Amino acid sequence: MGKQTKLERGLSLFLKYGTLITPLGIGMDEHFEALSKNETGISLQEEKGFEEVDLYLSTIKDLSGNRYNNLLEMACDEILRVHTLDLLKDKSTGIILSTTKADLDDLPNDTFQSSRDIIKEKFQNPNDVIIISNACISGVLAVNLAADYLEFGKFENVLVIGIDVLNEFVVNGFQSLRALSPAPCAPFDTDRKGVTLGEACAALLVTKNKGEGFAVEYSGGSSSNDANHISGPSRTGEGLVRSVNRTLERSAIDKNDIDFISAHGTATLYNDEMEALGFNRLELQNVPVNSFKGNFGHTLGAAGLVEIAASMLSIEKNTLFASVGFKELGTTKAINILKENKTQDVNVVLKTASGFGGGNASLLIRKV
Amino acid sequence: MKILGHSFINRKGAFLNGKEVVSCPENEAKFLRHIYKALEVNYPKFYKMDTLSKSVILADFILSPTYTDLTEQEDKLQLLFANDESSKRTDLSFIESYVPKEAASPSLFVYTLPNILTGELSIKHKWYGENTFFILDKFNAEFYLEQIRMSFSRGNEYCLCGWIGSVDKKNEECFLFLLSKSEGEVTFNELENILNTYRNE
Repeated sequence: MGKQTKLERGLSLFLKYGTLITPLGIGMDEHFEALSKNETGISLQEEKGFEEVDLYLSTIKDLSGNRYNNLLEMACDEILRVHTLDLLKDKSTGIILSTTKADLDDLPNDTFQSSRDIIKEKFQNPNDVIIISNACISGVLAVNLAADYLEFGKFENVLVIGIDVLNEFVVNGFQSLRALSPAPCAPFDTDRKGVTLGEACAALLVTKNKGEGFAVEYSGGSSSNDANHISGPSRTGEGLVRSVNRTLERSAIDKNDIDFISAHGTATLYNDEMEALGFNRLELQNVPVNSFKGNFGHTLGAAGLVEIAASMLSIEKNTLFASVGFKELGTTKAINILKENKTQDVNVVLKTASGFGGGNASLLIRKV
Repeated sequence: MKILGHSFINRKGAFLNGKEVVSCPENEAKFLRHIYKALEVNYPKFYKMDTLSKSVILADFILSPTYTDLTEQEDKLQLLFANDESSKRTDLSFIESYVPKEAASPSLFVYTLPNILTGELSIKHKWYGENTFFILDKFNAEFYLEQIRMSFSRGNEYCLCGWIGSVDKKNEECFLFLLSKSEGEVTFNELENILNTYRNE
């Protein structure tokens, strides 16, 4: 293994839907319908967090008991409706899990063990589950790593699962940072007041074989650190700019061909300001851009996967979705935020993510 | 690829390329602080950090003389880190800050992600390269070598890798190793042996 493998350059890689479970529904059809109507999963919930105040959160209503394990089990069952057990259990299929906190209810025990057990039980796959825990960029990193594995010849397919659930821990944490919005989050808006947290599970299959069903091509990706602050974004967008430039280089895609950017857009003052600046530095200020956080809230380790899946819907359905919660531009540098849905040919999509620890990650996908 | 250097910290002391640089008194509870002082490190931010970041910053301080010319490689140095319990210790401290006191601590919360330590390293050195943090059930030389090969094939020139063992498994340790893309191979056994030698010191 490893040493003998040869890098297969110029290989075409594809992304296919796995599943998407959010407050807006289960599966891609329900999400296309919900996104077309600009629905949001965010609702007001009473006495939340250590301050016991009413808070806006994007919560999956039907989850009970151990929310994390139940959501992961539900997602695995949904994935089995889309992809065969034969494919999922094959040793040529790798599995990557992207999560920031996994099953926190299991503290002080190993919070990652239940994920390994559930995935093993559902898919009977002999490979170790590869777990990435790299804050809010985990999902984009995980897809980039999956592509590396395919290029490197280690796997034929890699299932990437992104998941995080809401819990007291995360709500208290963001509340302690004064980062939560008193209203549903409004990314890039002049009245934005912070993050709305959400929960979700999303999965994609990264594969060498386009096969039946909808697929997009994976063109390339990369990451970069801001080298600036552990819990705040760079003031200059340095890491974001470096990551996107490197992604463009690796993808051999002309930035003028980008039709849409799915931004990180957490709706904090500094994050959105940083992204607007970064996209201007990249000369991407005219490209239509949205943040899906207005629909799903910030789903942390799941966010990258959720937003790539939603962007794949844009390519499949030739529809750009409005940035929910946005009314008036609130960043110093202008960018082209989608105020309403738009039907147009969508070929090339740039996905970006930024997160705690100073991480930035990006990838490009295109219509096949 | 080639191993340019490695460092190691545990309760017994701090080591560089197999040689002890600091010895810790037995039962020294604050052994990281002991190493910090013994090495005369001047990085006041150290005191604000959680244990994960503290260990890595110290192990990096010990290793850093071996890579003085890396600043020019700020974009081509990948950080590949892993541990077996994420930020569990800080997670538990953060929970204590709001149960039962009901005043969640923001300074603890920011360290409740394992990849904060790669952020700390990036800030310290102004490294803008790629970072990935994995959760592994134990140190796995084969896994690291696979990641390193993929990183080099993506265009990176150096990989600074790290493993931080957990208190729960009585395996409290921090192991850093730096590789360059240059000619040659590093074997699974070679890497595994380096760590085992440190563990048996």
